[in-house]
Amino acid sequence: MTAAVTPFLSLSSVTKSYGAVEALKGIDLDVHEGEVLALVGDNGAGKSSLVKILAGAHPPSAGEIRLRGEAVRFASPGDALAKGIATIYQDLAVAPRLSITENIFLGSELTRGPFGLPVPRLLDKAGMAREAKALLSRLSVNVAHPDTPVERLSGGQRQAVALSRALRWDARMIIMDEPTAALGVQETRMVLDLIRRLHDEGRTVVLISHNMADVCAVSTRVAVLKGGRKVIDRTTDGIDADRLGHMVMTGRDH
Amino acid sequence: MKSLRPFLATYGTALAGLCVVLVFAVLSPVFLKPANLAIILRETAFLGILSLGFTLALTTAELDLSIADVASLAAVVTGALVHGGFGAPAAVAAGLTIGLVCGLANGAVVTRLAMPSLIATLGVAAIAKGLGFMITQGVAFVGRWPTSFTGLARGSLFGLSNLVWWLIAVGFAAWVLLGWTRTGAHLRATGEAEEAARLAGVRTGRMKRLGLAACGLAAGLTGVLLASSLSSAAPNMAGDHFLYAIAAVLLGMTMFEPGRPNVAGTIVAAFSLKALGNGLVLVGAAYYVQDIVLGGVIIASVALSAGALGRAAFVEKLSFRRP
Repeated sequence: MTAAVTPFLSLSSVTKSYGAVEALKGIDLDVHEGEVLALVGDNGAGKSSLVKILAGAHPPSAGEIRLRGEAVRFASPGDALAKGIATIYQDLAVAPRLSITENIFLGSELTRGPFGLPVPRLLDKAGMAREAKALLSRLSVNVAHPDTPVERLSGGQRQAVALSRALRWDARMIIMDEPTAALGVQETRMVLDLIRRLHDEGRTVVLISHNMADVCAVSTRVAVLKGGRKVIDRTTDGIDADRLGHMVMTGRDH
Repeated sequence: MKSLRPFLATYGTALAGLCVVLVFAVLSPVFLKPANLAIILRETAFLGILSLGFTLALTTAELDLSIADVASLAAVVTGALVHGGFGAPAAVAAGLTIGLVCGLANGAVVTRLAMPSLIATLGVAAIAKGLGFMITQGVAFVGRWPTSFTGLARGSLFGLSNLVWWLIAVGFAAWVLLGWTRTGAHLRATGEAEEAARLAGVRTGRMKRLGLAACGLAAGLTGVLLASSLSSAAPNMAGDHFLYAIAAVLLGMTMFEPGRPNVAGTIVAAFSLKALGNGLVLVGAAYYVQDIVLGGVIIASVALSAGALGRAAFVEKLSFRRP
């Protein structure tokens, strides 16, 4: 391996226990800038625990996380966001009853003083609506009025809204947890296109998916987890969905 | 008429409130007299301020069942200080502080001990009630109160009772907070989707503590104004406002922003309920009719807007359904 470049994010000997249950038994994983890394594995392999640690939602029980070579500790999702790591969770990506604009700007609302005054800082609703539209059209997603509650959008559109929020934070690394689960063919294609677009922009994507075809279609590297350990870590060159599926089942790369 | 439905969904119950006013205007010759309207407005002020606090707590999907007992305790503490020879400013500050402290206690129990607000605030309510009786030894503070204190509620400005100005001030502050500040956006996000908000970096625990603290403060102010207006302070004086406040917030959630606790809805609903109660008295209904009607309003306002309100965050929480 010619790993002369410092990885964007690097995990060494990371473990996670929930009481007596050891979900992660020492994970070493490098995420390089600009790659689309797929995390695959059966249920209970440790994917969700790993995602929560990467996202700052749970602290690791032991081990070290380095960001661009520097040791970091994420005490909250806000910490990870501030360091440029955004996570789009499968079920919790968006707040259904809030509007498109409210979702995109959740946690990073724009404010401005009234009549050009510096204070008090009030919500800049017009500015946020404008920027929400711009962000979504940048992702080539056409949605209704930005005041529309997100619960009226399709699954793919919701992913786009969640992604827009990550882009608002200017996240360098975006973790997508099962983004195509429960989506139709058309919608899946749209989300995969979004991932390719992020890749083209030079952003780092960590994709968690059960769909081997989706993984092969967009990722540059794949890490297979089994029983809380990383058993395979390789490029996706020359791998098809069948072979990847076999790897997940057996934990062996042949 | 397809275009009429969204209009009715948003303004239907506000129009019903207007109909109540019109019906009593026809039935009772006194109802629309300025003196009677002034009575309704003053009553609306107490209820409105108390309900606005509840609105802020409910925005974060937490209930505060202690509002009435906290308001009574604040009134009693204020009364004790006024009768103990303290100046009006000190007494008022003490009443407001009591409200705030109770609100902070609610917030601490709900977020630090991770207890459902339904239970936590019931506990604080009982404690507040007990303290109220302890301070008064079961009797009420009555007698002569200094005008510097009674002027708070009994004075008027530009022909409107001070009470109405208090309501306008609290309503405006709550409206700006909820609708136009980042904090307000975070309060709403906490109520609508707590976990999603937390994962987006919103400090949801702090938002709940803020909502419940604001609710306690509003209850404290209500208690102070009740004492000032009535020249008495008794340990159960705000009790009658409890069901009214819950009804006002629930009814308010059916208007303007269906499914969301909102400032305009709460105030219009508070006025409608007080107009309804006043009108019933004027047409000669027995005193207990008000309570029966109030229960009907609570149930009807939830049933009428089952679409919007049925999915409201706190309803989901109470029914132990997973969203």
